[in-house]
Amino acid sequence: MSHLWHRRDPALFEKQKVEVEANFPELHFRVVGDLVLVVGTFPIIFMGTVLDRYSVEIALATDYPKSLPSVREIGGRIPWAAERHINCDGTACVLLPDERWKAWPVGATLLDFLNGPVRNFFLGQSLVERGDPWPFGQWSHGAAGIREYYGELLNTRDTQVICQYLECVSAKKAKGHWPCPCGNGKRLRECHGATVQALREKIARKDAATSLQRIR
Amino acid sequence: MTTNSYLSKVLASQTLGDESNELKALQERRAEVEKFLRQHFEGSSPTIRYGGSKAKGTMIRESYDLDIACYFPRDDTAAGETLEEIYANVRNVLEKKYLVEPKASALRLKDLNTQTRGVDFHIDVVPGRFTDDEKSDAFLYISTGEKKRLKTNLDVHIKHVKDSGVIDAIRLMKLWKVRNGLPIRNFVLELAVIKLLKSKKDAARSTQLEHIWTEFRDNIENLYVEDPANPSGNDLSHLLNSTMKGTLAAGAGRTLALIGTSGWEAVFGPVDEKKETEKTEALRRAAAAVVTPTRPWLREA
Repeated sequence: MSHLWHRRDPALFEKQKVEVEANFPELHFRVVGDLVLVVGTFPIIFMGTVLDRYSVEIALATDYPKSLPSVREIGGRIPWAAERHINCDGTACVLLPDERWKAWPVGATLLDFLNGPVRNFFLGQSLVERGDPWPFGQWSHGAAGIREYYGELLNTRDTQVICQYLECVSAKKAKGHWPCPCGNGKRLRECHGATVQALREKIARKDAATSLQRIR
Repeated sequence: MTTNSYLSKVLASQTLGDESNELKALQERRAEVEKFLRQHFEGSSPTIRYGGSKAKGTMIRESYDLDIACYFPRDDTAAGETLEEIYANVRNVLEKKYLVEPKASALRLKDLNTQTRGVDFHIDVVPGRFTDDEKSDAFLYISTGEKKRLKTNLDVHIKHVKDSGVIDAIRLMKLWKVRNGLPIRNFVLELAVIKLLKSKKDAARSTQLEHIWTEFRDNIENLYVEDPANPSGNDLSHLLNSTMKGTLAAGAGRTLALIGTSGWEAVFGPVDEKKETEKTEALRRAAAAVVTPTRPWLREA
């Protein structure tokens, strides 16, 4: 079986293509090597009016939809600067992978991704370009942003506690006899077992493991 | 509004006036690049000429560029023994001041400053060497493909496009290309438009565009373009190969279908007459209406 998602699941490819092209007539699917690229103009539409446009290239990697699509602004308009949330290689950090469950949960389509995180990102860029702040706020860069995110989610400022939660989320299985990550000395099943279970349902193990590695 | 008055409005919205910020910035940057190149290749006395969409009259707001041809005398070797060396040396020099994105024969200049890194300056520097002392034809280095040398003539290219009589159609087709992210080179698209409209110069713009898209959709395998600067010598077939033709045919097919179902406004969008302040307000309202907000992050600290 092919390791390329669009060959392994041509029906999914076709479905996403038809859906995206019907809603965004200026975005086109192209297969280049192992990648599926969605290239063209991404419009910010509100109440039927196009408020702004960005030239974009969105790459769907071989393991799509497991991995997040990689978004680039290719018109040379947005600086590749940390303040604008563009990495050194020109890719945009449209959202924190750990937050994916909220904005683009498993089973959501590429169209949902475009209408959600991608639209939010470029809407923010247009406002920032005009001197406004980021309309929905912004996470700090790198590990600090991950700490902020989990800090808000778990209502703690303690990095040690966040790491303990992430250990539970990234583990193959979270066992009830483990000490609770909140650090009060109780067992997981007697304390925050339900919280850990809820996190495990939302956040991919791989994302939690990567975040744990980053903030340690 | 008739289709042709709509297309006129589209063209007007894409026109950059001489006093526009974009053109002023381009002119300032042009002077800066020219001075920089002259300083670094003082001993070689390069000839600096300007081309690109500004010179051809095909500029559009959403995709404009200025080509700065930096041609060295036929017998000069200080800038490099070979064309490849000239290309590499000019690139090395430019990289001291700019973020350089190498293209097949040109070097695209972008901002290198930390805060504005990657912002496009819309300038391509094209290094080359004159073929003789007349200083009209030049050889360029081609970094991609098998053939590594191309004979060209900037003035012939500019004249070919400027005198084509189909500038408006070229500008609209460039806008179509940009909006749809089509990878065809502007130069090749210009040649294709000029060729396809040879007998339709006086037709209405909508008729011209529909003709081009119909030809792209139904007959593109028979479309070949020639470089007016060297018709027999420069083979452009790799720039309009079967993959490119397939991409253009698919794009043209979708556009024609879109006109059929939703009309011309679906192709180029509504003509924007909103003022900047109104736009900002509308963007704020759009942000306030977002149901699932997400915050941007950055992988690198």
